[in-house]
Amino acid sequence: MDPHAQASADWRPRIVAFFCNWCTYTAADLAGVSRLKYAPNTRVIRVMCSGRIDPQFVLDAFTRGADGVLIGGCHPGDCHYSEGNMKLLRRVHLLRRLLGDMGIDEQRLRLEWISAAEGEKVKTVVNDMVATLQKLGPLAFPERAAAWDLEMDEFERALAPAAALEEVTHG
Amino acid sequence: MNSNGAIRIGFYICHCGTNIAGVIDVDAVAAYAASLPGVVLSRDYKYMCSDPGQDLIAQDIREQGLNRIVVASCSPLLHERTFRGAVERGGLNPFLVHMVNIREHGSWVHEDGGLATTKAMDLVRAAVRRVVHHIPLERSRVPVHPDVLVVGGGIAGIHAALTLAAAGKKVTLVEREPSIGGHMAQFDKTFPTLDCAACILTPKMTAVKAHPNITLWTYSEVTAVKGSVGNFTVTVKRKPRYIREDLCVGCLECIDACIYKDGKFADEFNLGLSKRKPIYVPFPQAVPAVPVVDPEHCVHLKTGKCKDLCVQICAERNAFDFDQQPEFIDITVGAVILATGFTTFDAKRIPYYGYGVYPNVYTALEAERLVNASGPTGGEIVLPDGRAPASVAIVHCVGSRDADYNRWCSRVCCMYSLKLAHLIQEHTKAEIYNFYIDMRSAGKSMEEFYNRVSEEGVHLIRGRVADIYPETANGKDGHIGRVIVQAEDTLIGRIRKIPVDMVILSVGLQPQDDAEDVRRMFNISCSAGGFFLERHPKLAPVNTFTDGIYLAGACQGPKDIPDAVAQAGAAAAEALALIDAGFVELEPNTAYVMEEECSGCKSCIPLCPYSAISFAEDVLKATINAVLCKGCGTCVASCPSASIRQHLFEDAQIFSEIEGLLTHA
Amino acid sequence: MLATEEAVEQMWGVTLDRLYDSEEGRRILSCIQCGTCAGTCPHGEHMQYPPRRIITMLKAGLIEEVFASDSLVMCVNCYACQSKCPRNIRLTEILLPLVKEQTIVRLPQMPPELQKAVENSYRYGNSQGESARKRALWTKTATVPIRILADDPRPVDALWFVESDLAFHPRGQDVARATARVFDALGADFAILGNEERTAGDCGRLSWEPGLSEALIDYTMSILKKYEFRRIVVSDPHAFDAFKYRYPMFGFDETVESTVSYVHRDLEKIRPRLKKRLEYTVTYHDSCCLGRHNKLFEEPRELLLAIPGIRLVEMVHTRENGLCCGGGGGGMWLDTYYKARGIERLSDRRVREALDTGADVLAIACPYEISRFEDAVKVAGAEGRLRVRDIMELLVESFGDA
Ligand SMILES: Cc1cc2nc3c(=O)[nH]c(=O)nc-3n(C[C@H](O)[C@H](O)[C@H](O)COP(=O)(O)OP(=O)(O)OC[C@H]3O[C@@H](n4cnc5c(N)ncnc54)[C@H](O)[C@@H]3O)c2cc1C
Ligand code: SF4
Ligand code: SF4
Ligand code: FES
Repeated sequence: MDPHAQASADWRPRIVAFFCNWCTYTAADLAGVSRLKYAPNTRVIRVMCSGRIDPQFVLDAFTRGADGVLIGGCHPGDCHYSEGNMKLLRRVHLLRRLLGDMGIDEQRLRLEWISAAEGEKVKTVVNDMVATLQKLGPLAFPERAAAWDLEMDEFERALAPAAALEEVTHG
Repeated sequence: MNSNGAIRIGFYICHCGTNIAGVIDVDAVAAYAASLPGVVLSRDYKYMCSDPGQDLIAQDIREQGLNRIVVASCSPLLHERTFRGAVERGGLNPFLVHMVNIREHGSWVHEDGGLATTKAMDLVRAAVRRVVHHIPLERSRVPVHPDVLVVGGGIAGIHAALTLAAAGKKVTLVEREPSIGGHMAQFDKTFPTLDCAACILTPKMTAVKAHPNITLWTYSEVTAVKGSVGNFTVTVKRKPRYIREDLCVGCLECIDACIYKDGKFADEFNLGLSKRKPIYVPFPQAVPAVPVVDPEHCVHLKTGKCKDLCVQICAERNAFDFDQQPEFIDITVGAVILATGFTTFDAKRIPYYGYGVYPNVYTALEAERLVNASGPTGGEIVLPDGRAPASVAIVHCVGSRDADYNRWCSRVCCMYSLKLAHLIQEHTKAEIYNFYIDMRSAGKSMEEFYNRVSEEGVHLIRGRVADIYPETANGKDGHIGRVIVQAEDTLIGRIRKIPVDMVILSVGLQPQDDAEDVRRMFNISCSAGGFFLERHPKLAPVNTFTDGIYLAGACQGPKDIPDAVAQAGAAAAEALALIDAGFVELEPNTAYVMEEECSGCKSCIPLCPYSAISFAEDVLKATINAVLCKGCGTCVASCPSASIRQHLFEDAQIFSEIEGLLTHA
Repeated sequence: MLATEEAVEQMWGVTLDRLYDSEEGRRILSCIQCGTCAGTCPHGEHMQYPPRRIITMLKAGLIEEVFASDSLVMCVNCYACQSKCPRNIRLTEILLPLVKEQTIVRLPQMPPELQKAVENSYRYGNSQGESARKRALWTKTATVPIRILADDPRPVDALWFVESDLAFHPRGQDVARATARVFDALGADFAILGNEERTAGDCGRLSWEPGLSEALIDYTMSILKKYEFRRIVVSDPHAFDAFKYRYPMFGFDETVESTVSYVHRDLEKIRPRLKKRLEYTVTYHDSCCLGRHNKLFEEPRELLLAIPGIRLVEMVHTRENGLCCGGGGGGMWLDTYYKARGIERLSDRRVREALDTGADVLAIACPYEISRFEDAVKVAGAEGRLRVRDIMELLVESFGDA
């Protein structure tokens, strides 16, 4: 059973987070060392640099049931590899448009620059994002995608005789 | 080694005492892990990072034929190296382990044990799926250049440079000011021992100058840094002093000869309490003892028309060169020690302390110069009108422990305030009032020093000064009027308004104004207050997150001389360990091109900040130079034909992590 | 530290027992007992329990003893302690009013002057006890037309909230008339509530009974609802503060400006009118509400310096470190109470500081100060040597055509 299919009272948004090793992952460690408390909804995947984050990762996370994706990198000018974060930023702009077309609210993808010293910011960003997603409710993308698949199947079935015809003419 | 064939994963979860187990149900997570596909063994243990914990892994690999390991414990930034070692000792390639961070990202940040346990399970599931895609990798080695750069010639930089030089390493010491010495050179005596600062510092300064292994570049700054651990190329800008260091013998006759008979311009070293000429040495014991010409005020440099008495007297020594230009020199070093120190809080920012308004309100640094025998008053404590003060208030914590200014405790101010109290009382017999919030006398011999000064009869008033204002409206007959220092004496619960002749503001320590630029240049991080950030406060206190760059002294946080020197020694030891190893092992997380799939579009080539990607014209494909690649993965994510991959961060690994996080088993 | 609207918002409706429920309230736990608050308080030496000790007593569960003393009757709501507290504890905004309320309730007898002021405010809508029907009387002697909304309710740009001291006190009325002239010179579209206005309620519930200030707030809000305006321009800094930080608790969300910043914004429009040189040496007294609490330090000074001939000198305590006139937090009606306890009036101290500067004009921007300082000048025997003038009066004097 997928517990995220409907917005039950105990529904909790699931956030997949991609943090760069040098700044944001370290900041999250600092939040831990400082014993700051924040919502337990994020699951962090560590990459060396936010520049490694492929839009496919984000799309994959949504299609597999994430309600939100959080990307954390170094502040502009601070990237350990000089400007991986800027390369990422460009990708995120394009990605936002795509997500919009897919009917995914843009607040579900969040990009934050969090330096190694900003443990506190990890806390506020996560809590804030959880609150936002709580308001937006479940994305339930897998269910939606399943519905689209069905629709596509029917569409294809409807087209099938025509396609067959075409083949005939070609052949 | 058993890395192929059937996947046999060993899973280990650490209690970390109660750090993890106090919040997360480790038994449940271990049981859950055991149920995951591929996991053939699942254990929990009190301290996985301890020797027995590590041995457990090594032994299980050997005895149970494990070929992948997942450890759920603290942050991989802390212990990844440890567990890779354990895996290696078990006879497995060290890159077949993956860590799950359930402490810093789990038990320490979540209060609800149930939810933290669920989160841990999700992360474990992701790791178990990911580790399947791990493959054996080899680390490559790069040689380490044996020279070291030390930036900043305060006591910390001096000590680090001397230590390295003594070990036979070549050191370049770059100092921004015309002389090395840093803040310590400005002090008369140092707490807690009250030994004379110059007596202990001067020999070290001259030793720097004399040491054949040290190249000393004062009046210089680093302007660019390229490369990485083992091989940094650093550009140093040498500002023109208009006197050639190689020819000057340090007789200083030119200073006497200058057409300005007396000092006329604010003397920086004395914080403007005295005047200097346009040609000067900052202080008598300066190293190098080579004068500097200040182009803002030198008549020759400003107008081209001067009698050039200085040049004449220099005569055949011929050290003057008014055509000197800034010089940019590139040097190559294997390691860098940053020892750029601190600056003091600007007391003007707290208007109610009257600094810059009342002439008898001084900063502690100014007071240090006043009590210094070689200072502007020859060690006499006098007011601007020449009188010795009969009463002095010393205000602790100025700019420190204050949410509106600097939040931190500056650590040395309590002790230096007591030192100043002692010295001023000794010099003037004045009544001294120290206003403090809490007396911080931690550290060896500090409490004893506090006792000593209390017994000398200094008035210690527990209360933060709330206001400073003149006793009477206007100073009468040219005298500088007393000011009233007002505070609650919290121990007796009364407001005290004490009229004093002189006030000393014990300004706190804060990061250098350009710390942010320096940090960027060396690609390191800063803590929240702006001091340079150490890799780990306890386990790697002089390392930074950038390999090969180490920290020493007050640039890392407020500290006293003993601690600054100890830290400098530690930083030198770290640099030595790096150099003497002779090579560094690189994390094999480099990117590589799948040649069959590369379409030759060249879009990746400009993306690489290290120019590691080139285009092989013969096959019309991109290739990546693994030695130059630093493993950021930007090209990997950008390749339109998905033909660039990255070791340790393979698409397959990350996708399986995503899948693992979101799919319930 | 200074007020932020969000932080104050957090503390709406907070009581002493629920102090630690909010982040702003919990700050109290971070007090380092440095005594800056007590040390800077203009009445600190007369309080058995200055803010620092209140915090320890509260933590020790001994707060009743604090209520039983009259320490907080001495608090004049000047924000000095809060602005210097190194832990950013919201003393004046949050903690002290709560303690003060309890203290006043427990006083064996309410100080008669304060009692009278409270009663008057209940009955007449002004602490002076003047007939509400006389509130707009001063407009009759104004030299420019003043629109009263009840008579002419068309939408207006600036609804000018005059407040009682300007409306009733003879010197206040001078300021009111001067202000009207300045507005007229700006070409401002302004109107007043006239007799419909009642006191906004000091800085809200800060000094008196919460019930009274709530009633006044309700009333004022209902009157304001009748009219269309773009902003409220407030002459009395205490009322300005109330509109800014207290009214919003009750749903008020209009733009509020103080007269000083409203005029300052369009200074260039009146600059050509400032023709007459005023060869005065002027010192400016920062009102606590405008200055320390709302950071309006430069604007009033720039208005003064726009007047040709004026030389500005500063008192020893100025700007962030200004010294309260003693009128805030109900202090206006506690002079007798303080005097009986041998406490020197703060206005006397302040006027001495003004005299020390050698200034011949003490410029102010708060109507409480006119009466307080003019009286203190008499006490100091400095009549004729030091004149107390509102900035608006000086501007009009420089118009030179009165
Ligand atoms: C008033 C006062 C009194 C004190 N008294 C005592 C005492 O009695 N006993 C005691 O133990 N401690 C005392 N201290 C603390 C002491 O000053 C420090 O512990 C010590 O100076 C730290 O040494 P450092 O080398 O780290 O930094 P610094 O002394 O600040 O030296 C840093 C050096 O780096 C140089 N530099 C900075 N930036 C650059 C750059 N970008 N490029 C090149 N060079 C650069 C600076 O010019 C300087 O020479 C006192 C501090 C103060 C403020
Ligand atoms: S000033 Fe602030 S920190 Fe200091 S005693 Fe007062 S309330 Fe506490
Ligand atoms: S607000 Fe002013 S009068 Fe009241 S306690 Fe604070 S400093 Fe004292
Ligand atoms: S390393 Fe943090 S964004 Fe590049």
